[in-house]
Amino acid sequence: MSNKYIGKAVKRVEDKRFITGKGKYTDDMILPGQTYAYIIRSPYAHAKIKSIDISQALTAEGVVAVFTGDDIAQSGINGVPAGWQVNFKNGDIMKEPPHPLLVGTGSTVKHVGDAVAVVIAESKEIAADAAELVEIDYEVFDAVVNPADAVKDGAPLVHESAPNNIAFDWEIGNPKAEVDEAIANSHHVTSLEFVNQRMVPNPIEPRSAIGLYEPSSDRYTLYTSTQNPHLIRLLMCAFVLGIPEHKVRVVGPDVGGGFGSKIFHYTEEALVTWCSKQIERPVKWTSERSEAFITDAHGRDHVTHAEMGFDKDGNVTALRIKTFANLGAYLSTFAPAVPTYLHGTLLQGLYTTPKIHLDMTCAFTHTNAVDAYRGAGRPEATYLLERLMDLAAHEMGVDPVELRLKNFIPPFDGVNQPGYQTQVALQYDSGNYHEVLRRGVAMLGYEEFRKAQAEAAQSNKLLGVGFSTYIEACGIAPSAVVGALGARAGLYEVGQVRVQPTGKVSVYTGAHSHGQGHETTFAQVVADKLGIPLEDVEIHHGDTETVAFGMGTYGSRSLAVGGSAIVKSLEKIIEKGAKIAAHKLEANVDDLTFADGKYTVNGTDKSVAFGDVALTAYVPHNYPAGLEPGLDFSSFYDPANFTYPYGCHIAVVEVDKETGKVSLKRFIAVDDVGNVINPMIVDGQIHGGLAQGIGQALLEGAIFDENGQLINGSYMDYCMPRADDLPMFELDRTETPCPHNPLGVKGAGEAGCIGSTPAVVNAVLDALWSGGFGHVKDILMPTTPERVWRAMNS
Amino acid sequence: MQLTGSHTLAAPIEKVWQMLMDTDILAKIVPGVSRLEKTGENQFEAISEIKLGPVSGKFSGGLTLSDIIEPSTFTLNVSQNSKIGNADASIKINLVSVDAQQTEISFDGDAKLSGLLARTGQRVLSGVANTLTKQFFSNFEEEIVS
Repeated sequence: MSNKYIGKAVKRVEDKRFITGKGKYTDDMILPGQTYAYIIRSPYAHAKIKSIDISQALTAEGVVAVFTGDDIAQSGINGVPAGWQVNFKNGDIMKEPPHPLLVGTGSTVKHVGDAVAVVIAESKEIAADAAELVEIDYEVFDAVVNPADAVKDGAPLVHESAPNNIAFDWEIGNPKAEVDEAIANSHHVTSLEFVNQRMVPNPIEPRSAIGLYEPSSDRYTLYTSTQNPHLIRLLMCAFVLGIPEHKVRVVGPDVGGGFGSKIFHYTEEALVTWCSKQIERPVKWTSERSEAFITDAHGRDHVTHAEMGFDKDGNVTALRIKTFANLGAYLSTFAPAVPTYLHGTLLQGLYTTPKIHLDMTCAFTHTNAVDAYRGAGRPEATYLLERLMDLAAHEMGVDPVELRLKNFIPPFDGVNQPGYQTQVALQYDSGNYHEVLRRGVAMLGYEEFRKAQAEAAQSNKLLGVGFSTYIEACGIAPSAVVGALGARAGLYEVGQVRVQPTGKVSVYTGAHSHGQGHETTFAQVVADKLGIPLEDVEIHHGDTETVAFGMGTYGSRSLAVGGSAIVKSLEKIIEKGAKIAAHKLEANVDDLTFADGKYTVNGTDKSVAFGDVALTAYVPHNYPAGLEPGLDFSSFYDPANFTYPYGCHIAVVEVDKETGKVSLKRFIAVDDVGNVINPMIVDGQIHGGLAQGIGQALLEGAIFDENGQLINGSYMDYCMPRADDLPMFELDRTETPCPHNPLGVKGAGEAGCIGSTPAVVNAVLDALWSGGFGHVKDILMPTTPERVWRAMNS
Repeated sequence: MQLTGSHTLAAPIEKVWQMLMDTDILAKIVPGVSRLEKTGENQFEAISEIKLGPVSGKFSGGLTLSDIIEPSTFTLNVSQNSKIGNADASIKINLVSVDAQQTEISFDGDAKLSGLLARTGQRVLSGVANTLTKQFFSNFEEEIVS
């Protein structure tokens, strides 16, 4: 079969509506009789609600209703649950304190932005004005915001039920005593204490939700800016509102970016649904930008001490890590999995490190929840490993590229050579790690760079290069594996292919698209597999009423898992089509070949087009005996393993010795995401990921003061990467197929964000080292001019 | 947020003190204050409208004076609420006589901000505070002359 679309840079079919302003987002919808909710939020990080007086607000003109936590409690509604359970080292179940939709009188709010009451009115403005009439009396307490401080004796408690604010502790790897011994016996130990700062995801579309209860049918519809409608429905029905699932439809229409922050089931989704039932009218809530800063789940936020041991030849002997991870005030949907199974399991990196131990303590603090953000745990693992590698090379006086090449896992394809079993539970599928680094170094022109760097070291503009090589576990995930690890859901995907009587094809996928280009990539796969024009394929997603089921989009899983489900259905279509074609051609099924959109009898020119077969399936006048009419198949695909994209990122920076200002001059990325369906979309995904990863290194980071106030919660204060902060990216890729899914794809959504951050920080340090500041081991991210200047002048 | 500053006013210490204790005068010279009412011994209610960079809001709440040693020092406790967040501050104010016709006024305090007020424009807030302080002193000087 020849590929007309797969592997080609087909322009994204969804872009026309997006760039002409015709996308349809949740906030664009105006339902008949719609009301508007304004959520009153705590201005304090830790305070007891002594009283709430809603009487004045209730009488304001245009106000439909005001609800408080007391109303929610009276109707027996539960809080939102965590979707993943991680146990303490001793086997005790993690602490999972309730996360109420609204905090009631007599209870304590636990972060700035915690919801206290909701005002529903005829317009957004009336609701906001009436909210000012609600009088809430707080008794303010001390707060704690840093995870390492939170676990100390005497720290203010977030939940009475979680002593020392510990949600759970956890470990992975080899026995601690073996790792301690290996570190003790090492020739050299590189040690680093650092912070992986808290990131605000900042999708361009703030979250929005509309609850619609229809008394005529006793049914609910929730429109919400989510990455996974089915999971929201499952969690909201079964755990929060107790509504039968078949009575609820959840629609995630066009969604303007998520980066993980829209995977989770948020309280507002359940709140508008519940409110709609109370007032029997649609209720819409749309987050303001400022509100998003304090209610969207954030990412990262680790405080770490890591040590890497080496023998006298520079071989890594052991890795020992102690990390405190901040989970915020409540457990968000995936929060327990991110610092554990999505982080600890990646600490092998690309190296043959024989002994690894991670000791993780996950803490509650008086801040909004921390959960998955582009890369989710894997950027933290990569940052740790790659910072240690460049620092170790510096300390031992060896070349950072040579040190990596010496310690890489040898190439293996996962077919002729087995997968690589790590010390931290995973089995890598396939890879040639040396190749991506060699290619990146060649693109850099390493020798010439070092010459230029030596010259620059005499000037006020220092040059530095930083290396980073990463691996990630994507294609999330084999259900049995994640089930054993505490996931409260399976992580397969569903793909339905409905061939219409005219041969046009409607595809229904559980993999929601919010910027990834599924409507194009998935259609490329379907069009090529069926040998039909791309325009004859339409991809549907995001509506629980039309898509049978699905687990959503995150963890670079859409094509590897969602695409594979579609391929399984396509195989069923082609197989059934062959029976119909054989009947029409009066041939044996085994003598037919399906290629280029037609079934051909081998060795003849007798053939029948796919469209004719489709029509026959729906108009079965002359039809194989015993065969059902129709051509419509649905498949569930549960992957056999994770997929393991990997790559090499190299940053070149210039550091102004007088001001400390860092300028990113070059960025080289050589990624291996397995087979590529649409190289333009993969490049776009890499570009976006790089911008976010570089943003963390140079510009971004949430800052809480000691009272738990987020003090940079606006775009005046929180610095997002802009085009002029970034150079033209230099990209290349290798393609090592994934051996265990039908498309051989690994996933590209997070790669850019995972590999880039340590490359940039390493480059800043390399610049300083070249300029005579060899004693500097670390600069806190973001590496602002002030921090870099202080590092050089301390 | 730290609040500190000082300024020399062309008036004797007794006059400066007397003006600071006069609610009518204070309401005129404190920037943004639209109403200041005495509600008890050393207790006041204030309503003010303040624009801080992109953030503007109507504040209301109480002011109390404590640790009063006439005519040299007192502490101003401010608790102001608004829909954009709350501000709680405790500011120690000192008067020192420079000579018979001049008084140096200085203040030192800490303000705790919450809500939108806290998370928007913190970096511009100290600039705003400086502007308000300058405005206060220039209003004060005008009031002395009038």
